[in-house]
Amino acid sequence: MAGRGTNGRHGSRGHAGRTAALARLLHKECIQLLELYRNSESLPSSPVDGGYLVSIPPLVPQLSDAEKISILHAALKECLRLLEDVITQEDAEFSDEDSEYKRKWKTVRDRLGHLLASTEQLLVEGQKFEAKVKEELDGQAVSGSFRLKMWIVRVLQDLVHWTGQTSDTLRSLPAEVEKAPKTMSRRTRRGAEKIRK
Amino acid sequence: MQGWVTLALLLSLGAKRSLAQNGLGEPRGLTLNPDLPAQTLSLAWQSDSTLFDLEIFHTEFMNVVLNATVEVQADPVTGLHSWTWHSPLPLECTSHSVRIRARNQQSVSQWSPLQTIPGWDIPEKSYMFPEDKMIPVGSNMTFCCIVNEKEDFKEIKYGRQEMKATRLSRRSYAITVTNQPASDNTGTNVICSSQKFQILTGTVVFVGYPPGDEGLVCETRDLASAECSWKKGRDTHLRIKHSQTNYTLNGRDCLEANERKTWCSSKMWEENWTLEARNPLGTVQLTDSAQLTDRVHLLAPVNVAAVKVEAWSATLQWSWSVAAYKKLEMVCQLRLFAHELSSTRNYDGPGLSSVVLEGLWPDVDYTVTLRCGSKHSFWKWGDESAPYRIHTKMDRPDALDVWMWMDSSNTGHVFWKPLSVRKSHGALDGYEVSQSSAEEDGRNTVSLPPGNFSYPIILNNSSDVTVAVAARNPAGLSQPSTVTTPAYRADSQLSVSELLGTNGSFVLSWEPNVSASSGYVVEWFPTGCTGHCPIDWKKLPESDRSFTVNSDSLVAGVRYTVSVYSLSTGAPTLLQRWQGYSQEMIPSQSVSELSLNQTGSDVLLSWKATEMKQQRGFIRGYTIYLASAAHLDLIANITDPAVQSYRVKGLTLSSYKFVVKAYTSAGEDAGATVAIKMEMDTADMLFVGILVPLGIMFCCIILFSIFFYKKREWVKKAFYPEIPGPKVSGDWSSPRGPLDVKPSPHSLVHIVKNPEWDFTKEGLFPVPEEEEESENDNMEVDTDSDEPALLRYYNQVVGDGSHSNQVSDSSASSTASMGSTQTEITYAGIQSPSSSQGAYSGGGYRPQMQSVTGPAEPQIEFEADFQDDGLNAGYKPQCSWQLDSPEAENFSGSLGSPTSVTSSQFLIPESSEEKPQPSNTWFHNFLSGKS
Repeated sequence: MAGRGTNGRHGSRGHAGRTAALARLLHKECIQLLELYRNSESLPSSPVDGGYLVSIPPLVPQLSDAEKISILHAALKECLRLLEDVITQEDAEFSDEDSEYKRKWKTVRDRLGHLLASTEQLLVEGQKFEAKVKEELDGQAVSGSFRLKMWIVRVLQDLVHWTGQTSDTLRSLPAEVEKAPKTMSRRTRRGAEKIRK
Repeated sequence: MQGWVTLALLLSLGAKRSLAQNGLGEPRGLTLNPDLPAQTLSLAWQSDSTLFDLEIFHTEFMNVVLNATVEVQADPVTGLHSWTWHSPLPLECTSHSVRIRARNQQSVSQWSPLQTIPGWDIPEKSYMFPEDKMIPVGSNMTFCCIVNEKEDFKEIKYGRQEMKATRLSRRSYAITVTNQPASDNTGTNVICSSQKFQILTGTVVFVGYPPGDEGLVCETRDLASAECSWKKGRDTHLRIKHSQTNYTLNGRDCLEANERKTWCSSKMWEENWTLEARNPLGTVQLTDSAQLTDRVHLLAPVNVAAVKVEAWSATLQWSWSVAAYKKLEMVCQLRLFAHELSSTRNYDGPGLSSVVLEGLWPDVDYTVTLRCGSKHSFWKWGDESAPYRIHTKMDRPDALDVWMWMDSSNTGHVFWKPLSVRKSHGALDGYEVSQSSAEEDGRNTVSLPPGNFSYPIILNNSSDVTVAVAARNPAGLSQPSTVTTPAYRADSQLSVSELLGTNGSFVLSWEPNVSASSGYVVEWFPTGCTGHCPIDWKKLPESDRSFTVNSDSLVAGVRYTVSVYSLSTGAPTLLQRWQGYSQEMIPSQSVSELSLNQTGSDVLLSWKATEMKQQRGFIRGYTIYLASAAHLDLIANITDPAVQSYRVKGLTLSSYKFVVKAYTSAGEDAGATVAIKMEMDTADMLFVGILVPLGIMFCCIILFSIFFYKKREWVKKAFYPEIPGPKVSGDWSSPRGPLDVKPSPHSLVHIVKNPEWDFTKEGLFPVPEEEEESENDNMEVDTDSDEPALLRYYNQVVGDGSHSNQVSDSSASSTASMGSTQTEITYAGIQSPSSSQGAYSGGGYRPQMQSVTGPAEPQIEFEADFQDDGLNAGYKPQCSWQLDSPEAENFSGSLGSPTSVTSSQFLIPESSEEKPQPSNTWFHNFLSGKS
C-alpha cells in the first residue's frame, strides 16, 4: 500500500520516485522482520544497547542530496554485507528450517540488493563514500548463541535505521535530482573528501 | 580480665596439644582445579588420613554450599587425595572457597587454609552462565547473571517467564529452573535485565531429547554393497548444528545421514549391522542381521522398448544397469494401463530382460511400467521403470449385431449396434449394407458413413429379403451379419399381453421353441412409435428362456412393446408380444372432452380417455368427485377403464362441479372439472308454474262451492238472518197490491220511510228488483230523462228487523238487501243530490258512497255516520259496506231496516261537508286517531 502510495506520489519523478518507494517498502519489511525475530525469540521490544553497527559521516545540511544518497548507499551496502554474514552464520549455527521469518530474511536481502542497484543510478560518477562497521561478527564481539542473537537484532536495527534514512532522504529529493547531476560543486567535493579522511 | 585471657590461651594450647597427640595432621597442599563447562571442582591434597570433612563456601557471603564428610584414599603413586565436587551453579557465577580437615571418628584435625577459585563477578562486565548448555527435557538448572558494576539488577526471564532470583554476591544473581520443557528451534533464551536496559545479558539453553531413531533395515541394490535405512524417531528439539545427532554404522561414521536423511551405505555386505545414533544428550543403538540374498532390492530396468508390436501382442525388452542381475533368478511385474483397460502380469526367469505381451487389443494405446524382484527369498519389488508407451496395430472389426424391424408389411429398417472400441479394432470408415432376396439374383450393396446405424428396407414383393451389414476400418471389412425380414404382425393381430415392470425392468420368460435353432431375439421399443424409433434388441442363445430388460434402456412412464422372436435359418418368427410400462406413473394429462348432459334431476358425465403417450401407465379406471369449496367428495369409482360415462342421479336445483380423474397403478391424474347449474325442464316449468296453481285454484273453488252449498243454510243464518216483520198497529188493511207512486218531479230520489220515524206504521214495500226487472225486461228506462221514473211500492208491512247490513262485501250486501224484506229504494236517476238534500234537510236521504276502507275503518266510519245521523236526523248515504262490529250492529239496529240504494249514475255530492272524505284524508285521520 505504502509503496503504491509513494509511487503515485512520486510517479512524476520517475526513477527517483520508484527508488523512494522501494526504500519505503524495504523499510517496512525490515521493521516486520525485526518484529518477527523478536517474537520468535521472545525478546523484549526495546532496542539492544550498543548503538548502530554501521557508521557514516554525519548527514550535515551542507551536503548535497546526491552526496547524502551516496553516503546512505554506502551504509546500505554495509548493511547488506552484515545481513549476508548473519544469514550465513545463522545457517551454520542452526538447522535451516523453513519459517516465515526465514522467508522474510530472503525477501529483505533481495530487496536490499535491488535498492542498492536502484540508488546506484542516482549516484554521481566518481563519487565514492565508505561506511564503517564498528564490530564484526567474526571478531571477539560475538561468541555464543545468545550473542549471535543479539548481533542479529543489532543488524536488523541497523537495517531498519538505514533503510528509513534512505527512504526519508529519497522522498525529500527535489525533482531535479533525477536529471542526474553528473557534476559536483568544488565545495561539495572538497567537503566529501574531508569526510572520507 | 587478664586472668581470663590467660585461661583461654592455656585451654587453646591444651586442645592443640590434644589434637597433635591424636595423630590427625592437618591436610596439606589443598589445590582446586575447576572444570567450568562441567561445573565440577576437583580437590587434591596430602594427608595421612582417609576421612575428611569438607566445606565449600560462596566466598563473598560465605554461604556454605557444601558441608560433607568423605572418605578418600590416597593415590598410591602420588600419595594425593583427590575428590571432585559437581556444582549445581556454574563456577563462574561467583568465587568458591574450600577448606578441609582430617577426621578419625570424633577426632578432627585443624581446617586447612581456605582455598578460593575466583568467579567472574569481579571484572566490570556483564555475563550470564552457563552458556549454550544442552540438557535433557525435565532437567533442573541454575543460571546466574553477573551484573556490570554500573548496572542495577532488575530481573531474569526464562523464555517469557520471569523467575525469582537469588543473590549470590554483590554482582551475581541466580535462578533455578526445574523440569525444563523442550526448547524451540534456536533454544530457550534466558535474559538478564537491568533497570537501565531491558537486555543486559543472556544465555541460551538447549533442552531436548536423546536420539529416538528406530527400525534399522539393511539391503543391497547391487548384490554387493549395503544400504541401511531407519526411521527417524522422536524429535530431539536440538536445532543447533553441533548438537545434532551423529550416526555411525558398524563403527564407521555415516556422514550422509542427518535430520532428514535416514540412510547410510556400506561398500561391503555384512551380515550384522549396528547403527549408533548420538547427540549431546544421549546415544541409541539399532541392529539388523540378514543374508545378502534375503535383502535384494533391485534397481529399475533401463532402456525399456517394444521391439515388435502387433494388433494383439507386443514384445518388450529392457536392460539392467547392474551386471550381477543377469544371473539372478528374478520375477518381474509388468503393469499395463490403457484408457479403460489395465492389467498386471508377472513374468519370471534368470536375468529377465524381455517378455511377449499377449492379449492386447488392437489400436489401443498402452502404457507399460516394469519392476522386478528376487524370485527366491523375495524381499520387495525393485524400483519401477519409467513408463513406456505402446500403440497396437489395427485389425478388422468384429461382426455387427444386426436386427430388422418391420413397421408395416412391406417397409422396415435394418438396425445395427455401434461397435465399441474393443470391437471396432480401429476407427471405422463406414458400413456396407447388401440386400438380397430369393427371387432376385445378385446383391445390392450400399456404403454408409460411420455415423449411420440403420437402413430402410422396402419389400417389393412378398418374398423375404436378407440384409447383410459389415463394418469397415482401415484394416479391412468385418464379417457380414445377416438378418432376414421377419413377417410383420400388427398388434391388432396378436393377443398382446400386459407386462408389468419389476423395479423399473421387464422380466420376460417364454416357452422354448423348437424352431429357435439360432437362439432368440428380444426386441423392445416404445409402443406406437413411428419413423426413426429407438429400437433395441438383445440376441440370446438357444438355451435361454428368460431375459430381463434392464431399466437403463427403459424410460419410466413410457409404454413399450416387447417381442420375442425365434431365430433360425430363415426369417425370425414372432413368439410372443407384450406391452407394458417399466414403471407406471400418474397420467400427465386429465381425461379429455369431459361433458355433461342434464336429464331432469340427473346428469350424465361423459369423457374420453387421454392419449396413450399421456397415460404413462395402464388406465385402471376413473374416479368421479363432487367438488365443494374445500374438498372433493368421491361419488363413484369406475374400475372398468372402458366405461367413460357416468350418470349422477337425483340432483336438486343447485350448482355442481364434478371432477373426473383417471388413475393408473401410480395414482390419479390432476383431474378434469366440469360444472353445471341444475335448471327445470320447460315442461316441468309449465307444469309447475301454470297448471299447478290453476289446478289448486280450481280445486279450491270447487271445494268452497261444495262447502258453501252444503252449508248454505248456515251461511244464510250466519250472514242473512231472518228479519222480523214490522208490527203494525192500526188498520193497514189496504188491499194488497202494488202501489204506484209517481215521484215528485223535482227529484227522482224517494226516501223510504225511516223506521225511526215511526216503527209502528206500515210502510211501503218496494217491489223486488228481480220481479220488476222481469216485468220490465222490455221496458227501457231513460235515466237521463227529466221525467221522474215510476216508483212502485208494495203496500206491505215491513217487519221490525234489525239492521242486517253488516257484511262488508258489496255483493253480499246487495244480496242481503235483495233477500231481505226491507224497504228498497231504487234510484232511477239522480239529478242533483243538493236538491235532494234541500228537500230533506232535516234528515233526508244521502247518496251512498262507494269507498274502500281498511279493516279498522268501519267502526270509525260508522260512528261518523252515526253522529251525522244524529245531527241531521235523516237519511245518510252508506259510506261503508263493512260493518261488522257489535256497535255497528247496535247502531244499525237503531237505524231501523237497512236501506239499499241502487243507482245507475254516480252520486257526486256538491257540498264539501257532505262529500265523503277523500281516502288520503280519511287515512290520515285514521293514522292520527281522529274520530
